Amino acid sequence: MEDKDNVRIGVYICHCGHNIAGTVNTEEVAEFVRGLPAVVMATDYMYVCSNPGQNMIKDDIKRLGLNRIVVASCSPTLHEHTFREAVQDAGLNPYLFQMANIREHCSWVTEDHAKATEKAKALVGAAVRRVFYHQPLEVKEVPVTPSVMVVGGGIAGIQAALEIANGGHKVYLVEREPSIGGHMAQLDKTFPTLDCASCIFTPLLSAIGQHPNIELLTYSEVEEVSGYVGNYKVKIRKKARYVDEDKCTGCGECPRVCPVEVPAEFEMGLAQRQAIYRPFPQAVPNVFTIDKRGLPPCRVACPAGVNAQGYVALTSQGKFKEALEVFRKTMPFAGVCGRVCTHPCEAECERGKVDEPIAIRSLKRFMADYELRVGREKAPPIERTKEDKVAIIGSGPAGLACAYDLVREGYTVTVFEASPQSGGLLRYGIPEYRLPKKVLDNEISYIKELGVEIKTKTPVKDLTDVFNQGYKAVFLSTGAGISQKMGIPNENAKGVIHALDFLKQLNSGIKVDLGERVAVIGGGTAAIDAARVAHRLGAKEVSIVYRRSRAEMPAIATEVEEAEREGVKIHILAAPISVLTKDNRLTGIQCIRMELGELDASGRRRPIPIKGSEFDMDVDNVIIAIGQAVDKTMLPKELDYTDWGTLFVDSVTLQTNIEGVFAGGDVVAGPADVIGAIAAGKKAAVSIDRYLKRMDLAEGRPAPKKKVQEVSKEDVETKTRPAMPVLDLKQREGFVEVELGFDEKTAIEEAKRCLNCGVCSECLECVRACEAEAINHEMEEEIVEAEVGNIIVATGYDAFDPSVIAHYGYGRYDNVITALQLERMCSASGPTEGKIVLKDGSEPKSVAIIHCVGSRDKNYHEYCSRVCCMSSLKYSHLLKEKIEDVEVYQFYIDMRCFGKGYEEFYERLSSEEVKFIRGKVGQVTDRAVGEEEQGKLVVVADDSLLGTIIRVPVDMVVLSTALEPRSDAGQVSRLLNINRSADGFFLERHPKLDPVATTTDGIFVVGCCQGPKDIPDTVAQASAAAARALAMISKGSVEIPAAVASVNEELCSGCKVCNLLCPYSAISFDEEEKVSRVNEALCKGCGVCVAACPTAAITGRHFTTEQIMAELEGALI
Amino acid sequence: MSTMETLAPSREVVDIIKEEGGDTLKLCYQCGICSAVCPWTYVRNFFVRRLMHQAQLGVVDFEDEDVWRCVGCSLCVDRCPRGVKVVDVMRALRRVVMEVGAGIVPSSLRVTVKNIAGVGNPLGEPPAKRADWAKDLGIRTHTPGTEVLYFPCCYQVYDPSVKRVALATVHILKEADVDFGILGDNVVCCGESIRKAGTESLFQNLAQTNISAFIEAGVKKIVVTSPHCYHTFRDEYPELGGNFEVTHFTQYLAELITEGRLKFTKELAKKVTYHDSCCLGRYAGIYDKPRQVLESIPGLELVEMGDNYEYSLCCGGCAGRLWIETKKGERFSDLRLGQAIETGASVLAVNCPYCMLNFEDSVLTSDKEGDVIEVRDMAELVREAI
Repeated sequence: MEDKDNVRIGVYICHCGHNIAGTVNTEEVAEFVRGLPAVVMATDYMYVCSNPGQNMIKDDIKRLGLNRIVVASCSPTLHEHTFREAVQDAGLNPYLFQMANIREHCSWVTEDHAKATEKAKALVGAAVRRVFYHQPLEVKEVPVTPSVMVVGGGIAGIQAALEIANGGHKVYLVEREPSIGGHMAQLDKTFPTLDCASCIFTPLLSAIGQHPNIELLTYSEVEEVSGYVGNYKVKIRKKARYVDEDKCTGCGECPRVCPVEVPAEFEMGLAQRQAIYRPFPQAVPNVFTIDKRGLPPCRVACPAGVNAQGYVALTSQGKFKEALEVFRKTMPFAGVCGRVCTHPCEAECERGKVDEPIAIRSLKRFMADYELRVGREKAPPIERTKEDKVAIIGSGPAGLACAYDLVREGYTVTVFEASPQSGGLLRYGIPEYRLPKKVLDNEISYIKELGVEIKTKTPVKDLTDVFNQGYKAVFLSTGAGISQKMGIPNENAKGVIHALDFLKQLNSGIKVDLGERVAVIGGGTAAIDAARVAHRLGAKEVSIVYRRSRAEMPAIATEVEEAEREGVKIHILAAPISVLTKDNRLTGIQCIRMELGELDASGRRRPIPIKGSEFDMDVDNVIIAIGQAVDKTMLPKELDYTDWGTLFVDSVTLQTNIEGVFAGGDVVAGPADVIGAIAAGKKAAVSIDRYLKRMDLAEGRPAPKKKVQEVSKEDVETKTRPAMPVLDLKQREGFVEVELGFDEKTAIEEAKRCLNCGVCSECLECVRACEAEAINHEMEEEIVEAEVGNIIVATGYDAFDPSVIAHYGYGRYDNVITALQLERMCSASGPTEGKIVLKDGSEPKSVAIIHCVGSRDKNYHEYCSRVCCMSSLKYSHLLKEKIEDVEVYQFYIDMRCFGKGYEEFYERLSSEEVKFIRGKVGQVTDRAVGEEEQGKLVVVADDSLLGTIIRVPVDMVVLSTALEPRSDAGQVSRLLNINRSADGFFLERHPKLDPVATTTDGIFVVGCCQGPKDIPDTVAQASAAAARALAMISKGSVEIPAAVASVNEELCSGCKVCNLLCPYSAISFDEEEKVSRVNEALCKGCGVCVAACPTAAITGRHFTTEQIMAELEGALI
Repeated sequence: MSTMETLAPSREVVDIIKEEGGDTLKLCYQCGICSAVCPWTYVRNFFVRRLMHQAQLGVVDFEDEDVWRCVGCSLCVDRCPRGVKVVDVMRALRRVVMEVGAGIVPSSLRVTVKNIAGVGNPLGEPPAKRADWAKDLGIRTHTPGTEVLYFPCCYQVYDPSVKRVALATVHILKEADVDFGILGDNVVCCGESIRKAGTESLFQNLAQTNISAFIEAGVKKIVVTSPHCYHTFRDEYPELGGNFEVTHFTQYLAELITEGRLKFTKELAKKVTYHDSCCLGRYAGIYDKPRQVLESIPGLELVEMGDNYEYSLCCGGCAGRLWIETKKGERFSDLRLGQAIETGASVLAVNCPYCMLNFEDSVLTSDKEGDVIEVRDMAELVREAI
């Protein structure tokens, strides 16, 4: 350290012309400074920053041997760099310099000369005392990675990327949308020259696509940015587009077959696009993208995971055969489930939030009925690709669903069935009027045709026997076959029947004799079935006795309604307590009334008997339908059971206590619905496949996919759901099916109501259509990592949503549109092929263009959006050009035509007789006053030049909407550690001298993300940023400021407080040495760590305690 | 007169306008949206923008009737892109006339000012009779410890045609078992509208009288049945040291109904449309509570007029316009009544005495035969159904 006695300070007081000297007595300040310790000389001077001024300092350093310099002038932001360089030129370390700001802090903030001079003395005195303790510091240099990431593929990003790539350096161009192009790609013409946007822009797009130095990452977003200037590490999330970019030829066959339509973002909602789409024909890359938002709620709600959106979407297109194929990818029972499913999917259907859920079950039935009607080809048998054989015991829905999945996996599957025919309860439990046998038979034979062998009349009790026959795995799905008892006196009397036995006899073709009066006990599907069957068999009086209330009935509501329509009486809140008999023959039942108490384990309110409310019912038969239980005598002995008497299985794998033996359906769950049994069968199939492949049964099973987050219901018009047509009561003779099913027209109309929640329905029609085999619905997103030296942010703007200004009527009146919508109409490749039309397709004869919608308005955005005056002029021209004799009114506040050629364009439009009305529009209304306003949109404004309130009737109103910051600008600013100005746009380092850089070195902002601007300004700014990045690359290294923190490792206690606090993640912990270390390249010298360090081990270089204290002392004396 | 005028801006006038609360005037950039949305455009010309420009330059013609035109509905204030408080500017212009003496005060307004200044109410009724309306109702005088002060509007106290609102209010308060009291001859007009008419010092006196009376009586919470009292008690009295919890009766009703303190026992099978008053709507943003109260009345069907919520059309009675004669054919209340009739409603529900007076007048002077539509205060409707 140098000897403090040898410190020689020179001080220069700048006049800054009149700026400082007009208020501060600089002479007096110089005189004051001369009296301070170690000051060798002090002088005042007109412009110290000028060349002679700088030379004066250099000369003095040499002549007088000065080794510390103080300049009192303007802000260090402006000239600190200038003076440091001058000092360095004269051979001094640049850090032996200090600046005092006596302009912004003194002369500019007061008119009091004396006070300004006093303050100047204090500030210069502080600087002199501080500089005394300054130390020479070393400026470090780090190498620059010669590649750049450009974020955003609009005109700004494209320009910057091309400049850098043409300069010979690698560019990663990241674009969130499927194609680059941004807003400019949406434009038809550009002002003021009226160049066709496509003509000037498309070549740029293709240049990007073909440039060897550009790695184009579309449909991608920046996930993480770390590192520092010259050395950034970035992670980019490349979203799955489900189309292989290398294979896709852009032929356009896929959208032709896609059944899903959603509003096209690129066309501003004026047209629809398919779920598989390309935003516009000249897209780069010229490939398709599938829009998948997640699984639709219906598919998530289905226990078996049936792709309801898929078959509904295809049904809406009349592709019934294909729809059924989609269904059969999951399970074989479209006809069965289309009739008897409890349809949990409909409860979750998003359409239900608009009006009513889609009739999903009825549509399913429709597809199956359609096939039965037109006939189907025999299903081609599946090739056996696996050696193992699987035995399935029980041919109900669980067993058959399991067999269906396994045979399609290539296994040899045999189903053993004890009854004479297969189908389990589907055949023997459900009456024919609800599920015709031919429907079930068709679906079972489909399963058989695939190669499943079904052995009926083959009960299996011995598992060893099965394994001995060479079966490697077993699935038990034998159901819950015995009826539960009521536990009341005389339950076994003659005339008491159990519902399952009753239905089974009937379904087996055995005649059942019933008396005239029949009571059915229970409220489930079996009870309703039994009651309706009893009615059909001729019973005159059929009553259902149910102990809870109607809301608790587990049966399907429409079934209950139909039963009542057919004449079945329902007694709720009543339960039998005794069977009344005479000679062991039933004569009636005694019941008791119930009331509902607290919730029980099933989540329903517990029925409690009301004392003394007993009553008798005279009946000839009682059918008990209060539930079924598992018949243990029919099952192998070595199996374990739960306390409920059902088979014990692992809840994830469905494996029983015996290895290789799995179970599911009612035998495990107790009596439940068909779809639950099917789901269990499918789950077991997964387990058996994994078991036979010797994989872990539980770990790594396919995880459920994510449900779609939000479903747009904007602009959805309500439409009623068609009722299921039913057979007229009079025609319900015997067991003719009651529900008739939809006709084709109804089915298509109903399917069209679907909101397509997931957007892509995964119907896989595109896969079939794609000759290039480019489509992969299983594609997953990937993370691309890259190292770049600089980052250029070009994320653009969002268009202001004018619907918040209710009095302009956007969203309420069809012919109030936004500027971008008009732009798309003007485009030859747009939704109207270049025609400007009203909603009804006719041409507008008069159009009002309203300026400053959302701009220059404290209620929305205070700033001017800068492009709207000019684009509004352009629209006037296009309107005049495209529509003969159209009247165009411009409602403006001030015309701002400031650019090159802009004023001339304004003049040109004036000559085209556009009418200019100076006044902000008060409202747009369809309330007509007088004849000429009838059927028009009336624009009301104060024509401030006429001094009259005018009402202008027009056909169309165009809103020139504001440009606003991207809705996620906040997230992006945090990701990149850059700032935003009060208006929300990204903040440049200096509004005049550095409008492209940010306060984070190596990160630049260009285009509208920095503030609204037109194309010429955007392109200029983009080129400027590219030049800055190229300059850094060509220099090869970058200086790291020396004023950073440093840790005295002797004093560091290893507490890591600084690690956590550092906003730039510049401090890391050395686990071996147990000390914290500062990465000088990352450190910004903010000083947070210095203040926080409990052992005072951290020093801020150039901001040492000594220096700060001396400066304070100087200011206070 | 020469063809050109020399601009002779009066710096003094501009300064007075700014001092009198019109400071935001300087932000105006003359877009004219104020003129375009002003309800006067429905009936005659009124160039708010031009008046703003004249005020900016200090060349206002204080003898022109336009100085008194603004109804203070605040629609333009909501729309103004530069945040100019037009209503405050208009008030400042009137202060120049009233207090500096430039220009002419309309004669009917002069009478009202004299009444309020003399006897503390615009009707010129004796202060001693202020509590007469409640004579036989057995209502206590508010004393420290009473939960709620009910403060009716002068019109609801003196004007026989509007008194029914105060009576209905008291009936409901009793029904809901509210601990409330009133004050007698020691309180005066709230001063809200007369302030907007430009009499600042009179307003200050009125406010001070009321604030002292409230403090003396230990008032904490005030329930009012006029949105004008509501606005000034809530937004203006605090500047003068009067900090009380203020609730408009409509809000209070909503509270009583939600808490179950007020139960409906009867059906009111009527089709009703609700008029958002300016002081409750645009001034205080209270739109849903009144509708909530109406919809909770059994049998009542609420229908909406075209201009509702923040777009509601003023009855024409704010900012002192109640006391300035408006020509037949230029009355907003006639237009608004037309909108109400268009909905097919049989009742026009209001919760402001000024709106009520204006609409009743419109009904009486209507050209249509028979009962056009009934104008009812919400308190009356609620009373009928409990």
